Amino acid sequence: MSTDRTRIDSFVPLRPVEFHILLSLVAGDRHGYGIIQDIQSRGETALPNVGTMYRALARLLDSGLIESAAPPNTTRTPRGGAATDDRRINYHVTALGRRVAKAEAQRLETLARAARVSGLLEKKAT
Amino acid sequence: MTDARILTLSERWFRLLLHLYPADFRDEIGAAIVDVYRERARQAMSRYGMPALAMVWLRALVDSLWNGAAERLRPAAFWRRHGNWGRDFEMARRRLVRAPLFVVATVATLATGLAAFAVVYTAVDKILIEPMPYRSPQDLYFVWRDLSASSGLPRERVSGPDVAELQRGGGLIESAAGIQLVGPTFSAGPETEPLQVTIMLSSPNLFDVLGVGPALGRVFTAREVGPDRPSIIILGHALWNRLGADPAVIGRTVWLSGAPYTVIGVMPPTFRLVRASIGGPPQEADAYLPFAFHVADRDPNNVGFAALIRVRPGTSPEQAAAAVEAVGRAVSERYRPSQPFKLFPVGLHADLVARIKPVLITLAIAAVVLLLVLCVNLSSLLLARATERTREFAVSRAVGADGIAIVRATLLEGLCLGVVGGVAGSIVGRWGTALLVTLAPVDLPRRETIVLDWSVAIVVIAVGAILGLAAAVLPAAWASRVSLASLLTSSGARGVGGAVPMRRALIVAQIAMSLVLLSAGGLVGRSLARLLAADPGFRAEGVLTFTVAMGPRLFPKGADVLLFQDRLEEALRALPNVSQVSATTALPLSDFAQPATITIPGAPGNTGDPNHDAVLVDLVVARPRYIDVMGMRLRAGRDFDMARRSGVREALIDTHLAAQFFPTRSPLGTTVAIGQRSVTVVGVVTQARLHDLHQDGRPQIYLRADDAAAYTPSFVLRSNGDPRAVVADVRRVVHQVDPRIPVSSVLTMEEIVTDALRQQRISTVLIAGFAVGSLLLVAMGLFGMVAGSVSQRRGELAIRLALGATHDRVLQLLVREGAVLIVAGILIAAPGIYAAGRLLRGLLIGVSPLDPLTLLAVAAGLAVVTILACYVPARRVLRIDPAPLLRQG
Repeated sequence: MSTDRTRIDSFVPLRPVEFHILLSLVAGDRHGYGIIQDIQSRGETALPNVGTMYRALARLLDSGLIESAAPPNTTRTPRGGAATDDRRINYHVTALGRRVAKAEAQRLETLARAARVSGLLEKKAT
Repeated sequence: MTDARILTLSERWFRLLLHLYPADFRDEIGAAIVDVYRERARQAMSRYGMPALAMVWLRALVDSLWNGAAERLRPAAFWRRHGNWGRDFEMARRRLVRAPLFVVATVATLATGLAAFAVVYTAVDKILIEPMPYRSPQDLYFVWRDLSASSGLPRERVSGPDVAELQRGGGLIESAAGIQLVGPTFSAGPETEPLQVTIMLSSPNLFDVLGVGPALGRVFTAREVGPDRPSIIILGHALWNRLGADPAVIGRTVWLSGAPYTVIGVMPPTFRLVRASIGGPPQEADAYLPFAFHVADRDPNNVGFAALIRVRPGTSPEQAAAAVEAVGRAVSERYRPSQPFKLFPVGLHADLVARIKPVLITLAIAAVVLLLVLCVNLSSLLLARATERTREFAVSRAVGADGIAIVRATLLEGLCLGVVGGVAGSIVGRWGTALLVTLAPVDLPRRETIVLDWSVAIVVIAVGAILGLAAAVLPAAWASRVSLASLLTSSGARGVGGAVPMRRALIVAQIAMSLVLLSAGGLVGRSLARLLAADPGFRAEGVLTFTVAMGPRLFPKGADVLLFQDRLEEALRALPNVSQVSATTALPLSDFAQPATITIPGAPGNTGDPNHDAVLVDLVVARPRYIDVMGMRLRAGRDFDMARRSGVREALIDTHLAAQFFPTRSPLGTTVAIGQRSVTVVGVVTQARLHDLHQDGRPQIYLRADDAAAYTPSFVLRSNGDPRAVVADVRRVVHQVDPRIPVSSVLTMEEIVTDALRQQRISTVLIAGFAVGSLLLVAMGLFGMVAGSVSQRRGELAIRLALGATHDRVLQLLVREGAVLIVAGILIAAPGIYAAGRLLRGLLIGVSPLDPLTLLAVAAGLAVVTILACYVPARRVLRIDPAPLLRQG
């Protein structure tokens, strides 16, 4: 277990774009464009570049935090009618990815709490 | 343009940008990226119009440029894309570790070859390539006089007025300095033990011309020259060290031949000015003085100066030559209209290395050829190894390894061997270089810089790596073609096809190259043998020489000089084991004699043409019995007698002068005019060669010491036994006669001869070493090939034996196979030998570059060795007993 802990720690801190990706995928499988839309909907002001996002996907795939999942909403037609959908790979967060995301969230929360203590943020209403 | 069309165009642009990403990334994710961009483009278009679309395009470009590069460089992906070199390397390492014998043999061979290369490369790099330690050394030239029009001497020193004219020259010639070397005695104080040093006398601007400043103190100013110059001296770094390296030396007084001089400067350790002499060893100075005269006032016919000029930056050698020639025409017309001469510049670097350059270039080419032999040899070794691993290759192919993977594995193996060999070669080469410098003649230019340093080591390792890779190319190409099918079809009886013709071709190439090296070695060796056998005009055995420096201040009167020399000679003659003693100003092979112009009025050989009748000669002053002591041959008349005949100034001339001026009658008794002096010929001798061992130099004339007092005579002693044995006695005797006089240059004549031949000896040893090394490599290659052939063809040979062939016939068959390769190699080598001969022409003395005897002997030697290398392993066939082999099938 301790080695697992180390393994998770080695990914933290995540790059912002990586955390966004994991955050989206924790909610459910998405393809790349879906993830971008998620990021947009979270109100992030500086949207990551498309290339940056897809490279982050490739990196997360390489390190086993996510995996590609079979697209759930398309079926291959012999004529290739749904070509656009066909090409969209859906991504799925792995158990490791989920734990890394959690660790990152905890890290951010700790930071946020510290910010509150120092008066940078308004105190949460209890 | 419709929106749809614009969007299609956008998509095309995005697809184009995808090419900035690596291919695998593009294939996996490219479509998704294009989708996203297209979506953005659509939104931008519909909401904000064309300017927004342009922004999307631009951002896509920047994004792809950045992320494309980043993705290409991402370490994990990089290794995945470019194969698993780490794993391949590990495999190659393991394979090599499993064959330690192969590795040791190969690395040792490589190390030897690369070490030879390293030594030669170091010498070439340091002598020929590295810049000299002066400001803009490419703008520095020595200037020489070309007297070929008047006296057949293409390269002579220049006169004082020549230097003055060059200094006045202006135009492209920025500055000029005259140089002379003298060898007075030097001491740190009036009471200290004297030592002999070489002093460079020069124009005061010498250091400015070179662009070098002092380490301590200052250099001469422009006015510190001429008869009333101050007595000042600049010390070289080595001499300063010898005096105790005192930083407060500036202002101290030192003594030159008894006269005080004030030290004004010390040169840095890197400063050396080697003045190239006309054809002999370059000489180097220990300290520097300005001229005690103005060069313009010197005799225009006395050619005793070396001239150094600096041309303006950017002047081409042709322009420099033209400028110097113009000056030459002016001085020639002014001073010697009847005997015109030319002046010509030679680049400082070119001048210094002129003698050694052909040797080095030849050696460099020989080293490259050796490397090629090495490469081919390694190639055939790796090929042999690859053949043994056919099965392994075939199996890896069958289980999915692609050809590239096998090529990569084989190349890596070669690379590893090459790099290890390079490292080992550098280490061995470092010792080799040190050895070379020890063995090299003292006059090897810039010898102090010849060290195998990191820059050379890196080159050698890189060459090793390239060699290893190059050697692995052929086996790799072959191995990549091996498939399981090919393994199955070629059963044991046929051996493995494909590789054998390749190995044969490699052997032929090796034989050809080593024959070229061998013939070069043979020719150079024969040339050295000729030189060793040459008659230099004297008998070196049993002769000891040493020089004493007698400053004019110690001996103000000429009579004192003679008196001292008489006393010394007498004391030396009294030594046990010394049979005869004499002295001279110019020892044979010293390359140093005073040039003088003589005429012989009234001699029958005169033509009336002043150019022809006034001859530039080497003037040698000798004490009585010199001809006898030196073992020279007297052709007519007599040697200088012990007793001087009053009223006659005696002289000896050499056979060249005798032949030119007295073709019909005896020259004895004739008067020769040397400047204002006239002397009488009392004998004719054969030259004791002053410059080269193998050929006569200028005509020589010998004057009696009584008529021309010499201040730095070299004494010669003929001893009954080993001349070295009397050295201690000689030093003692000189000290007894006059303790102020230093003894220097104690050398036997045999040592002088050996030193004169050192360069030839070294090049012979090196080239012959290369040649023998390559021959060994060839022999090893042939041995391995024939041995392999015997074991692979056991089945076939057994059948031959079973069908009635005798063992002898089968043996013949195998040897014949090797012999065919040898003959092919020899035939292919012919043009190479021709080319090598042309290249060697400058080095060969008394041997034609196509000397049939040498070439035949070398080819025969090669044939014998290589046939033996075939025969010995082929004898294994005698051990084949056909019956059991055939039963095995």
